[in-house]
Amino acid sequence: MSDFLRIKNLRASIEGNQILKGIDLEVNPGEVHAIMGPNGSGKSTLSSVLAGREEYEVEADEVMFLGKELLEMAPEERSREGLFLAFQYPVEIPGVSNINFLKAAINAKRQHQGLEDITAKDFMVMVKEKQALVELKQSLANRSVNEGFSGGEKKRNEIFQMAMLQPRLGILDETDSGLDIDALKIVANGVNKLKSKDNAFILITHYQRLLNYIVPDFVHVLYNGRIVKSGDKSLALELEEKGYDWIINELEAV
Amino acid sequence: MANKLDFLKQFDQLTALFPVQGNARAVIHNGLDFPTTRDEYWKYTRVTSLVESRYVRNVPNIDSIDAFRVPGLDAQYLVFVNGEYSERLSDTQLIQGVEVTSMRLAEGDRKQHMLEHLDRYVDSKTQAFHALNTSYFIDGSFITVEKNTVLSDPICILNISADKQQANNIRNLIVVGEMAKAEFINLHEGYDNAGSLTNAITELKVEQGGDASLYMIQNDGAESAHINTIQVAQEKDSQSKVVTITQTGKLVRNNLNFTVSGQGCESNMYGIYFTSDRQHVDNHTYVDHTTPNCNSNELYKGVMSDRSTGVFNGKIMVRREAQQTNAFQSNQNILLSDKATIYTKPELEIYADDVKCSHGCTIGQLDEEAMFYLQSRGLDKAAAAKLLVQAFAGDVTAKITNDALREKVEGFLHQKFEDQHA
Repeated sequence: MSDFLRIKNLRASIEGNQILKGIDLEVNPGEVHAIMGPNGSGKSTLSSVLAGREEYEVEADEVMFLGKELLEMAPEERSREGLFLAFQYPVEIPGVSNINFLKAAINAKRQHQGLEDITAKDFMVMVKEKQALVELKQSLANRSVNEGFSGGEKKRNEIFQMAMLQPRLGILDETDSGLDIDALKIVANGVNKLKSKDNAFILITHYQRLLNYIVPDFVHVLYNGRIVKSGDKSLALELEEKGYDWIINELEAV
Repeated sequence: MANKLDFLKQFDQLTALFPVQGNARAVIHNGLDFPTTRDEYWKYTRVTSLVESRYVRNVPNIDSIDAFRVPGLDAQYLVFVNGEYSERLSDTQLIQGVEVTSMRLAEGDRKQHMLEHLDRYVDSKTQAFHALNTSYFIDGSFITVEKNTVLSDPICILNISADKQQANNIRNLIVVGEMAKAEFINLHEGYDNAGSLTNAITELKVEQGGDASLYMIQNDGAESAHINTIQVAQEKDSQSKVVTITQTGKLVRNNLNFTVSGQGCESNMYGIYFTSDRQHVDNHTYVDHTTPNCNSNELYKGVMSDRSTGVFNGKIMVRREAQQTNAFQSNQNILLSDKATIYTKPELEIYADDVKCSHGCTIGQLDEEAMFYLQSRGLDKAAAAKLLVQAFAGDVTAKITNDALREKVEGFLHQKFEDQHA
């Protein structure tokens, strides 16, 4: 049994509509999981619920993250414990500097870990290094959070933030959507460089193409609020070829 | 009525220093009454208790103004304690082209010069708090900047409100000469002054082609009241900027008025009010466009928490002769609590037909998506809200071109959050 992330019978509804109908998922350090599925299957709800978005009613038999009850934590606590959500639609926040905000975020995490605030020098060295990782222009790091960024720049900024915060579990919510092939490669390359034996990633995606660049250990198909099929990376290729219908048909036949 | 005369009686022993003071006393003793909530422009701001209070007069000894200085600010300080000039605490410097004088001490030509301007711009005939100020101020600052003089550092008038139940009528008269340029800070600070009232008037005259900035920083204390009027009178081709930052004060009422007597003028007004507890902060502004080709820009931002109340009333008058006027006004508010209140009203009266005028007011809460985004990166709710409020106020703090002062104001916004979540 994994102590890293263990989800049992996770259900979530919003305004009376049940979106997640019982998710079971186990993730171990060093693994990359891809969660795929047709539109409306509940992919983004799953990432929102794990990150702690408040508008959902959430129930589960168990959601354990690094030995703690994830659902009992506020969003900021989940982050400080090492969970990171790369947003599908990163929010523009005019007037809040990307850099100041990141520094505040890093220090919040360090305080949580009982560490001193990061020094200005260490911080700047880290910014420079991580910027290079996702080829983010210096000028963007100094601007207001996501303000006036192109779609690709916003996604790169998400990965930049992830690199800065060094989470144990990164959840990428359709990070590939709206990216051209060059930006996709840069983002994927960034994630690959962040991969280690101590952390794990959940890639939520509609398409197989991201998985050409970040190779998953497991692929799960989410349909109608449940994981209906799991397999290795070959499942993604099969989906690419045949679409989702064959799985749906298979289900309905049963 | 008996109430009013009773109230005034406690000040009548103060010596009238200038003829205008005698005139104002006659006005206020006769027909002019203090406003009530039945008056349209005082609808939300109840001042009755202020003008029924019993006040005492006391000028405590203050050792040093270090606690009140703006950190890092290069400025000369002109210091008044409960309205009385303190030469000892002031550190006025001799600057070519600038004269800084206590009104009470002005003599000869200097006094003559002052009397040419004193009470000429503000309306002490129909506004009771103006008449009260003019009647009973015991001293004030008279600052002149000569023609073509450009000041590199601001001049800071520090008004300290000290001790309980004081009524301080603060008076400033500033004349910026032709093509001169200067910045002024009027810093209101206070301590141990529960029940005190600051009733301040600043007359700011900007002569042809001149450029004046005035920063009004209100930090009298949580248990005192502050009524403030700034009257800006601009001549042809002049520029002015007034930034009003309300930090503390149980009840604060600001009247900011601009009159313009020639073409090519620009008038800018900016403000921040961040209220908590049961604070009540009211900003009334009035720009009277009487001449063609003038611009006015206005941006006020409010953040209201707890059970506090904000009031904003922005009046822009564009008279028939004032063609080609550009007048822009915006008031934006964030309510941090469901018990907080804002009353906001743009009031545009336009009689000219070739003008550009706009106004807008917004009332909202902190953006929930932005809050979640920041929280998901590890910031707690308070820290996320603080960042968003600082960003919200940033459009106004950016108008404070003096770095030391801007840092002070940003520090205040920061501190206000710390206090609330302590």
